[in-house]
Amino acid sequence: MLTPPFDLVTLAVPFFVLAVILEIGLARFGVTKTNYETRDTLTSLAMGLGRSVPLLLTAGVSFTASVWVYQHRVFTVPFEAWWGWAAIFFLEDLTYYAFHRWSHERRFWWAAHVNHHTSQHYNLSTALRQTWTGGVSGTWLLWLPLAWLGFSPAQIAIQQGISLVYQFWIHTEAIGRMPRWFEAVFNTPSHHRVHHARNPRYLDRNYAGILITWDRMFGTFQPELDDEKCRYGIVKNLGDFNILRVAFHEWVGIGQDLLTARSPRQVWFYMFGPPGWSPDGSRATSASLRARWEAAQGGQETKL
Amino acid sequence: MTSGFWIQFAGSAIAVAILVALAGWASIARAIPPLEIDQARRLMAEEFPDKTIDQLWIADDGKAALARSGDFGLVIYRVGDGLVGRQVPWSAIPKAVAGHLTLSFGDFAAPAIKVAFSGLGAAAYAHAAL
Repeated sequence: MLTPPFDLVTLAVPFFVLAVILEIGLARFGVTKTNYETRDTLTSLAMGLGRSVPLLLTAGVSFTASVWVYQHRVFTVPFEAWWGWAAIFFLEDLTYYAFHRWSHERRFWWAAHVNHHTSQHYNLSTALRQTWTGGVSGTWLLWLPLAWLGFSPAQIAIQQGISLVYQFWIHTEAIGRMPRWFEAVFNTPSHHRVHHARNPRYLDRNYAGILITWDRMFGTFQPELDDEKCRYGIVKNLGDFNILRVAFHEWVGIGQDLLTARSPRQVWFYMFGPPGWSPDGSRATSASLRARWEAAQGGQETKL
Repeated sequence: MTSGFWIQFAGSAIAVAILVALAGWASIARAIPPLEIDQARRLMAEEFPDKTIDQLWIADDGKAALARSGDFGLVIYRVGDGLVGRQVPWSAIPKAVAGHLTLSFGDFAAPAIKVAFSGLGAAAYAHAAL
């Protein structure tokens, strides 16, 4: 099977809408402490709405590539086999972890992903602040090995949909912490709040999609601490709610930097170095911000 | 693009409009009282942890603050109920015209802002020239 019989994300849209209404309602009547700012909400939802257009434009390329790779697969995983679904659950989630980590640690892919982090709020509308340039940045290439292994493009698409829908509900402050066993294994609102925080301690942590175990395995896990409240947004927050600025500001920044590059090395690092890299070190990367913060703490904090 | 896509797109757009209206009606944005000196200092320290503040001015409307830190000007200002911070060379801070400053950050992500700082007298610039 090459095309999925249903689009899980499209089917989930009514659930997304009802969940946002519920979250706003609970905050309005004082049940939770969630905040919604009108223009911020409009920006998030418009990014989610607008995403479908560029996605449609690049879907043909990524689907064709996926089918081509699947035609050259080394195994065949039966679509109906339970073990195939179990295997793709873990493999797709590991792929997502790699994609997500790359999207934070390399500027070219950060430029495509950063818009998801530009809200200074953390609510269910933030989950829908999706990338417009992910397709053209080519991150979908990371999923091609799954097709090469023998998972059908349909099965990959369905599992990607499951992951995306799962990650919707964790974008909330309305839920404190889940049961301890759940927090140990799965990505949760608490873990993902850390991921969206701009506090130096929390930068570039908790890349998980569904399973937080990848972060625990690869040393990028950071629990949410009761005495350090998350401050949401990006290191240098945006100066307005212009949706085009949200979608393209980092791409413009890359372009401006390339115009000033004086060597192939600078070109490379401006494009593929860590976000915030500069030849003279005058800007701040996540690593340098964390190092300065650790130094300010008197060296008491150790690396994970 | 099929007509089905556009029907779905239009339906989603209507849902977006309803949700935004609901968020506006709910009035659950963060409270943003005008900045005061102590709060501005704390926010500056969060935003620019490596900088020490020599002088600090609060905008007339309480929605922005400007600080001098050596050769740098540090700016924090409200956008919605959030906060944005930028630093620029102090030499790039223009003189106020009729009490208003237009601050440009040379950053596509942060367009220029115009803020009234009636407390920012000539003394600040004289100090800057030292």
